[in-house]
Order: sequence, then structure tokens, then C-alpha cells
Amino acid sequence: MKFAVLAAAVGLMTCAMSDSRSATLATPETFAGIGDAATRSAALFTELGKVLTSPRCVNCHPAGDRPHQGELGRIHQPPVERGPDGRGLPAMRCPICHQDANFEPGRVPGHHEWRLAPRVMGWEGKTLGEICAQIKDQARNGGRSLDALARHIGEDTLVGWAWSPGFGRQPAPGTQKEAGALVEAWINTGAVCPK
Amino acid sequence: MKASRREFAKLVTASGIALSLSRLALANEPGFAARETLPGRQRWNPAATGAGRIDGVAKVTGAKLYASDFRAADLPGWPAHTAHAMLIRTANAMHIYEGVDLTRLSGALKPSVIVTAADLARIGARVPKFYTGDLFCPVGKTPLYLGQPAALLIYESFDAFDQARLALRNEALLKFGAETGPVVERDYGAFRFTRVAGATPDAPDVCSPVKDGWVSPGFFQDGGGPIWARLPVPTGAAYASAASYGEQIRAELDANAPSLLVLDREFETQSVDPMFLEPECGLAWYDADRKNLELVLGVQSPYDAATSVATLLGNARANFKPAHINAHFAYMGGGFGGRDHTPFPLYVALAAMFLRRPVRLAQDRYQQFQGGIKRHAFKIHTRIGVDRATGKISAFAADHVLDGGGLANYSASVAAVSANAAIGIYDVPKVDVTTVALHSRGVTAGSMRGYGTLQTMTALEVLIDEAASTLAIDPIEFRRRNALRTGGRTMAGNTYDVVVRTPEILDRLEQHAIWRHRAEEKARGRRAGSVVGTGVACVTKDYGSGADASLSLVEVDPEGRISIRCDHVEMGNGIGTALANRVAAHLGAVADEVAVAEVDRFGALGLVTTGDPYTMDQATQDAAQRNPRWVPAISSPTSSSIGAHVGTHSASEAARVIFRFGLWPAALELWGLAPTDPRAARWEAARWEQGRLTMPELRPLPLSEIAARAHARKGVTAAMAHSFSRWAWSKATFAIGGQAWTAEIDALAVRKGSGKFVRLDRADVKYPPTVFNRIGTSYTSLCGALVRVEIERATGALRIDRAYTVLECGRALTPEIVLGQAQGGFAMGVGYALLESLPLYEDGPGNGQWNLGQYLIARGSDLPLQGLEIEVLPPLPNDPPKGMAEVVMIPIVPALLNAIFDATGRRFQALPVTQQMLKGALT
Amino acid sequence: MTTVRMRINGRAYGPVTVRDELTMNDFLRERLGLTGTKFGCGAGQCLSCAVIIDDPDGTSHTSPTCIVPAASFNGKSIRTVEGHATNGELTALQRSFIDHFAFQCGYCTAGFLNEGQVLLERLAKTPVARADLEKTIADAFDGHLCRCTGYIKYHEAVRDVILADPGRYLT
Repeated sequence: MKFAVLAAAVGLMTCAMSDSRSATLATPETFAGIGDAATRSAALFTELGKVLTSPRCVNCHPAGDRPHQGELGRIHQPPVERGPDGRGLPAMRCPICHQDANFEPGRVPGHHEWRLAPRVMGWEGKTLGEICAQIKDQARNGGRSLDALARHIGEDTLVGWAWSPGFGRQPAPGTQKEAGALVEAWINTGAVCPK
Repeated sequence: MKASRREFAKLVTASGIALSLSRLALANEPGFAARETLPGRQRWNPAATGAGRIDGVAKVTGAKLYASDFRAADLPGWPAHTAHAMLIRTANAMHIYEGVDLTRLSGALKPSVIVTAADLARIGARVPKFYTGDLFCPVGKTPLYLGQPAALLIYESFDAFDQARLALRNEALLKFGAETGPVVERDYGAFRFTRVAGATPDAPDVCSPVKDGWVSPGFFQDGGGPIWARLPVPTGAAYASAASYGEQIRAELDANAPSLLVLDREFETQSVDPMFLEPECGLAWYDADRKNLELVLGVQSPYDAATSVATLLGNARANFKPAHINAHFAYMGGGFGGRDHTPFPLYVALAAMFLRRPVRLAQDRYQQFQGGIKRHAFKIHTRIGVDRATGKISAFAADHVLDGGGLANYSASVAAVSANAAIGIYDVPKVDVTTVALHSRGVTAGSMRGYGTLQTMTALEVLIDEAASTLAIDPIEFRRRNALRTGGRTMAGNTYDVVVRTPEILDRLEQHAIWRHRAEEKARGRRAGSVVGTGVACVTKDYGSGADASLSLVEVDPEGRISIRCDHVEMGNGIGTALANRVAAHLGAVADEVAVAEVDRFGALGLVTTGDPYTMDQATQDAAQRNPRWVPAISSPTSSSIGAHVGTHSASEAARVIFRFGLWPAALELWGLAPTDPRAARWEAARWEQGRLTMPELRPLPLSEIAARAHARKGVTAAMAHSFSRWAWSKATFAIGGQAWTAEIDALAVRKGSGKFVRLDRADVKYPPTVFNRIGTSYTSLCGALVRVEIERATGALRIDRAYTVLECGRALTPEIVLGQAQGGFAMGVGYALLESLPLYEDGPGNGQWNLGQYLIARGSDLPLQGLEIEVLPPLPNDPPKGMAEVVMIPIVPALLNAIFDATGRRFQALPVTQQMLKGALT
Repeated sequence: MTTVRMRINGRAYGPVTVRDELTMNDFLRERLGLTGTKFGCGAGQCLSCAVIIDDPDGTSHTSPTCIVPAASFNGKSIRTVEGHATNGELTALQRSFIDHFAFQCGYCTAGFLNEGQVLLERLAKTPVARADLEKTIADAFDGHLCRCTGYIKYHEAVRDVILADPGRYLT
């Protein structure tokens, strides 16, 4: 047993960055104690914010035209740009490397829809309140209603990749189902944004 | 000064292993040697007309050329099947290692063979001294460093290997016990270089390393570091003497004299990876029946690799001791110093010895980061004193601390070389520099382009810029005022053996538009919402290590076709083309067969060596050189920018012999000139023009006609030569055809007609005196750089707007390659200054998780591809080819830092300067 | 396991079965012995392993091979560095790489050659203005890492091929 504990310690040492983040999500029930609905709603979004601000989401919702990668959100190497359809420039298109599924030997993530979120949906560097306002704004969320937004976060398989990102990547906190439940609870409490 | 390799050669002899680094038997498939001899007969040779490299066609057609290209099936005479090995390295150097968890290597993951420290002990393997340290971490010990191998796993099939490497990536394969903290070891080397000049430039030095010898502190603190202070103890007089002068210099700097500007600064440099693009790899086969070990490797130091493997196995149990080692050295996908003396070939050999079938060991990039040699990180503390009235530097004191990582490797040597570069291009009458290379648990640091001088001269050139601006002296004028001139003494106390062209370089920098328009550009930046700055730097860098050798064989066939074989290696440096071009100057045509990295083709010279050329005393050398077959060193790594100067020297000398004693007498016959004709003695006046030998008023003779006649009359048609340099060439005289021939070589064999090589005994050999080992350097090349940067205020994004590099390298053997090296050096300088950085310990490459996503090297978009101008000064009359591949990288880094200061007003004292840091400085 | 067939440099390979985890790079290098395609980083970050994929619509693009499964190349037609010259006759770009001393160690050359060739073929179909040429070349090559050369001569080499036939590549 001594060995297992120490091996875990070594693992922690080398992944210090990722382990500084919480790996779990609180359930909506956890917030039931907050009497004020608006406060509760904002708190639910704040919890969801752990997902939205995880590198798995921010890396492809960047501020500019270049995706990021890794736990530290460095600029994607090789340098790629979103291009007209969010899938790269002619010389380097996303799906050339990003196949239909993660390819473990190359540590490269994959999904058949792999692409950059549209520019208006970038939330790198923004506060949770700003992200919240943006995510509710149909002009900046891909024309989604709140219900569609709940489905996007709770069911979309590209979003779902964030919870099974492959070797060397810390998954987004919790599960996609838990994140979906938070979105629904947030909507049901008035979709109030945190300050 | 580099560490010794000599003892290995002796051990080889003692071990009884015959070492041949030779070609394989030819079969239907082209053998290794045939593939590596370029361009090859009947093939297009771009170099013939100066329109490309001899390896040009091979490299654009994807020919098998690199060690990583070969499998057993590619090699005639080998079994067809290749097994695959992997090294398991530790990411933990703080706990006791308790062994491999074998339960995790069951089923499909089970290797055919596992090699650990216990196996090495069992077979009696012996670690060569240069690589001292456990090749595998023994159970019960804390790993010596991050990335130390713990086990070698060998799989019969590629598929099994491929599945295992994927699965094992997720597994904690190595077991660890109690925490011990890092292993503490003594430092790798500590030196003090102190010079006090005489009262006038002509007066002898009061004290200097050349005059008084190199000194090291003899006493160490409990923690392991040296005690630099002069101690009141009866031993260590030489150190105490230098230290007392050094302390005097420091006291003067501390005295707060109002006439003196004293700057006291710290500078830190980071660890970086050479990042040659082909990770280290090798292929080997031990044929137990024939007791023959075959190796295919790509290293900068072939002689060391072969002799080290022989040392490793020389004392081994009978069935683990080869009778022959046959090593084949391939073209390399980059080197930059990082493939000079690495332990990797030892593991390749071990894989073969334990499997006894062909096996390949190849690192992926994560493993290369984890196990490959790194550049030393430095902590530099400097004090400089400048006379306010004259603007002249009066004193300089510095302390360097190098992180050497887990194994000694070249750390002591890097410490010495970098200390000797600490005052760069300047003439400083009082200098005191201490340097120490420390062991750490980091990945081993060793040789890399610049070899420590990049670090110390960057710190220096940034400091010089600050001194000039503090005194309100133009930075180029300040450099001019303080520059060491030809005939002046270096900080070791010797003069350079070459003309010091600093004034010309400074003039070129001063006259350049980038410099002249710096104020207008700065103003333009202000208008555009960015900041613009211009920086300058000028450095000098030695080429050579102080004991450098080369071996060459040149042949001309009856059709006038030329073949060259040389022991120096090709890693992109263009040595093959440089050899061909240098020989063509003597023989009138560019070789169509050039084989490099060959160490085995020179048996006819019958060379022997003893002792260490770097530390030998004069009496020992005098005694040894009486044996006409003795040389101080047989072969050198291709390193220290010696390719042009040393690497091609033997071939040039061999070609001169062929010309003088083969082609010239044949030409005289063809011209009908009697040996008594006065023109017969004027061979040095003959010129090659478009493949024809010309003399005034005589018929131009095509090489093919002369060569045919030379063969027919049994003149000298081939020569092999060895040369040795210790900051000066060795010379000897040989009797050829009844005439005395004195040349800068110490061994020679010639072939007449199509006969056999005959070794010629030398007479009157003159080796450079052993006291030259006290010289820091006597061969040096210069390079200056101007860089203009534009930095976006809001983001800190830096763009290099324009840049100019001016260098001198004597006679450029292949001007296009010189240009390419300068462009590549620029890119590597940009990466070092702005992008590249490796944490030293647990978060660094030793954890096995580093790749090019985190470790950024310069891409095209980081560089001024249209705005980089390179100028190479024309050679001086009689200039030899001089090394330049390192010096071109160095000034780029301080010029960038100085430009950043000019733009932002902030002097960064640590590398790299990232966009985030720039953003911070601007907001 | 997947059964794959593909065309490599005009020659049909397969059907052969490959493990789904086998990279295209290892398929080329270990199975077929086509080692002209290099292995540099294994992470798709240096592109020294890039090959050309010729799509059925007549367009071509490069792809790294180190991070893509061999199975994904099923049915594809690719070109590698070994397939550019025909009967020993070098292409204009290969010649230009040699003439310009574009490479030094040569380990990244296959990737640059493939990228440059794709660029030439793209420009022949959709020419660009001379004023946009430098940026077009820079964008095409920027994913490729070279540690020796500083990139300048690679750019010059492909630019000179284009400028030698402006009617073909430029508007």
C-alpha cells in the first residue's frame, strides 16, 4: 500500500496545475438552502462556471482566432486559425488532425464536429458574469434559446468531449449530466447571472 | 578544454575488443556505407557546380540516410527481423527506488527481456568514466536525476512494443519508497580565472592563467560548494595567489571611488533543449556466434561512442563480451552539441547484448526531452568598473554557477569555456571570474551550441549596454573604446592567433541603416501605439576545443574522379560539401564520393595514442612523440565549430600531397617539362580553371588526363592524413619520393598508382607545447548584430522588424551554408531569448511530459523572414577557414534584450523574456 | 483491427489489416519501410511527418501522420517524399530546395517539400496576387518546424519556383 500512496503523490507532483482545480460539481440540491431564488440562480451558474472556465471549454472558446491547448491554455501548436468556417485555413484544417474520436497514441483529441466556437462565443479572459450575459444573448450564443442552451451543454457530444478528453488532459469537472442539471436548475431559477 | 577521452582508448586495448567502425559486407541491397557515401558515382552532384550540397539529392528524395531510417532488413547480412526496445526513465528523484512493478508487465505487456541495474552488475558491465553514474538506477537508491533510466524493456515485435508503450504510459511502473530528498553530490568542477595586466600593454602580466596555471579552490563547504576565499592554510598556494589578486580586484570595485562607475548585476539563464529534430535512436545486433556487435548510430562523437561501448563491455562476462564491435555512423537530423558524448549509445549496445538479435532503441520526443542533454542554466553575478573620465573598463569580477544536472558530462568544461568568454570582445586589465558547475537532480546538461559562452556573453553585452547608457556614451563607441585589438591579451593572458576584426565589425554595425535610423523609428512607434527599440551586441567565440584532430583519406581515380573519407560528421553543418570544396581547390574538381563519420578507414596510419592531450605535461609529450605513430588524439567529435577549420584540414593536406607528388609530376610529363626545368619547381603557381590545370603559356590540362598519367606513372594518387591542433597546428616532415615535405599534419600514408597505402614515418614533429593547455582560446571569430523590435503596448506581442548580422569567418568553404548557419543561428537566438524554457526539476522535462506544445521554438512567424540581412566580411589574405556556427547565434540574444530595453526602458535580467513579461513592463 | 487499402505514390497497397492504434507514421516507417517520412514529435506539432493526401475532388492537402491512425487513411491516395521525383527526374521544387541550400540536416525537408508542393498545386488552380505571395507562403509553412535553417531559404526556394512561372501561379 505504501507504494500506491507514494505513486499517487508523484502523480500529484507532476500534475500540480490540474489538481489545483476541483474535479467535482455540486448538485443543484446543494444550493437549495439559498432562499433567494436570484441568489440561488447566480450561485448555480457560478458552480457551472467551473465547467465553462475549464481549459477543456476555454481553449476552443478563445478571445481571438487561435485555439489554445493544454492545461495552461497555451496557444495551439502548430499555429492554426479559425478560418471562415471555424475549421481552419486551407493549409491546416481541424479535421486533418482531429479525427472522429480521440486518438490515444498521438494524445490528440477528436470528434467529428471538431471546430472552434464562433468568435462571438469566445469567453477567454471574461468574468463569469460576462460569460453568463453572453451565453444568454442569442446574438452571441449561436441563436440558442435557454432550452437549447441546456441541451447544448447537457447533451451535445462535442461539449461532452470535455469529460472524456483523453490521455494527458484533465476532464471538465463533474459529468456532462451534472453540468446539464445545473444549467436546467439555473434556468428554472430565473437564469440570473452572477455579479 | 574538454574532458578526457583518452583512457577509453587504452581500455579498449586492454579489453581485447577489436574495434572496427567499418562498412558492412556488400550484398544485393545497397549497404549502409554505399547509402552514406554521397552523392555517389553516376549520380548528379549539385556541389560540382556550387549549386547545392553533396547530400542534396538524397535529402529531397527521402533516401535512407539517418540512423532512424535503418531497420535490420535494410542491412545486408543482418537477420531480417527487428525487435524494439524502450527505456523506462524515472520522473522521481526524491524517493528511494524500489524496483519495477513486474505485475504490470504481464500478458501482452510482457517484454522478452528486461534489463536493470542488477543485470549490468551480473554481467560485469563497466561504465566509462565520462558517463560516471549508474546507467540504471539500482533498487534501494534514490535516482541520481530526473530521467535516469531504471529499466530497458525489449519486445520481439513492433506491434507488441507499440501496444506496450501506449499502455505503460498510463502505468506507474516504477515503485518508490521513503522520501530522501535529492541525491547530494560534489560539484563537477570549479575554477578561478584571475588576470592582472602589467602597467603597460607590453609589460608582462602580473598574474594570469597562462602565466601561473589554472587554479581551482581546494576546499569545500559542507553543502558541497567550493570555498572561494583565500584560506590561511599551508596548501593550495597557486589558488591562494590567484585568489588574493582576485580579492584585491573585488576590493577596488567595492571601494566606491567616485571616479569609477560600478554596476553590480545578477543575470539568470534558463535550461533549454537542443531540439534537434531527429530524436536519438540506434539499431544494434549482437551476433553471439561470431561474437560480433554491430551498431548503427547517429552521434557527433563517433570515436567516443565506439570506444565507450568497448569500455562498457570490455570487462564483461565471456558471453557478454564481444570480440568485435563494428559501428556504423549515419547522417544526423541535427545535433547542436546535444549529440556529442551522450550515454544513449551505451543503452543501444546493451539492448543488443541482452537480446542477441537485431533491436532498435528510439526515443520519442517526450523521452528525448526527458533523457536528452540540455543547455546549462546559469546564475551570473557580475561587477564591472568603468572609469568615468575615459569610459574604459578597469575591472571586472564575476561569479558563475551552472546547473549541471544529473551526470557530469561536459559540465566542468562548459564552466571553464564560459568563464573564459566572460569579457567577450573587451580588453580589461583586471579580471577575476569564479565558476562552478553543480550536480543537481535535473536532466543532465552538456554541450550545446555556444557552450556556456552564450550565457556569459549575453549577460556581458546587456551589462555593457547599461554601462554605456549610464555614462551617456554611444554603445558602439563604448565598445570600440574597450575592444581588444590584435596583439592584446585575452583574460587567460595569451594573444589570439588570428586577426581580431572587432573594429571592422563595429564600423559595419555603426554604418547600418538599422542603427542610424533608430531614433526616427522609435518616434514612429510612439505614433503607432507600439514601442520600438533598437539593440546592438558584438561577441567573439572560439572555435576548437584545445585538442582537436581530424582524419581524412583522399583518392583520385584514373578518370580524375575524387573520393573523400573523413571522420567528422554531418548533422546539417555541410561538412561533406565543405570537404569537397576544400579538396577541389587543390585537385581541380569536386568529389563525387564523400563519406563522413568514418573512423575506421585509416588503419594504414597505424595510429596509437596515450595520455590526455588536455592535461599532459611537456616531458610526457616529448617522450610519447618519439613513436612516429603516436598522436595526442586520434579523432574528435564534430563540435566546438571545428568543422571548417579542423574537420576539413586533413583532407586539404592530403589533397596537397596528391597534387604535389601525383598530379604535378604527371602534368610536367604531359607538358614535356623536364624535372630540371625551372618551371618544374613552380607548382604553387599553377591554377585550376574550370577543371583544367593552367600555367602561363602551357596547354591547360584536364584533370582526367593528369589523373590517368599519374596512375600510369605510379605517382601519388591517394593520401591519408591526420592532423592535430592545440590552439596551433602540429607540424611534421615526411620523405615523399625522395623529397622532404613539411606540412601541418602529424601522420601520413600515401598510395602510388593503384598500389597499397604505405605509411610514411614522420621526422621533426612539432607538437604545440603542452603549456598551450592554459590558453582559454586562440582561435576566434566575431559576430555583431543589430535588432529592431516593435512591441504592441496592449498585448506585449513582440515583432522583430528588421535585423542585421555581420560576421567574419575567414575563407568560407561553402558561402551558402555559412549564410544558412547564420540564419539558423538567428532563429535559435530568438527562441532562446523569447520563447524556450524548461523548468529544472519536477515540472521540467525530466517528468516525461514535455513536447513541442509547451516547449516553443521559433517558427517562421516569429522571425523577420524578409527583414534579416546577413553580411559576411571578405576574408583577409591567407585567412584559413574559421568556425562560425556558434558565434552567429550569440549576439542575437543580447541585441534583442538591448532592443527591448530601448523600447520599454526595462532591463530584463533573466531569460526568456516572454510576451507576458513584456506586457507587464508596458502596463 | 481495420482492413485498409491505399495508394501511396501511385502504387496500390493492401488490403492489409492494421491495429486501430497504429499510427500512419508507423505504418509507413515500420510496416512499409518508407522512412523518408520522418518522426519528429509524435504530437502533430512539428509536421516533419507530413504527407500529401490527394482528395477525390482533385484538391490536395498535407496531413501529419504521427497523430493520425493508419486506419483513417483507408481508401486514400497519398504522396510521400519518395514519390515526388519521377524516374530520377526531380521536381522543380526539389531542384529549388537544392539550389537554395534550403535545408541543412534535412530532417524536416520531407514536410516542407510536401507542403510546398501542395501550395504550388493550389496556386496553379487559384493563383494569388504577387503582393500576397509572401504571406501565402508564410501561412503555408508556418506549421512546419526547422531547427537548422531559420526558414528563409525554404521560403526563397518555393517563391522562386512561383516567380519563375508567374503566369501559372500569380494573378
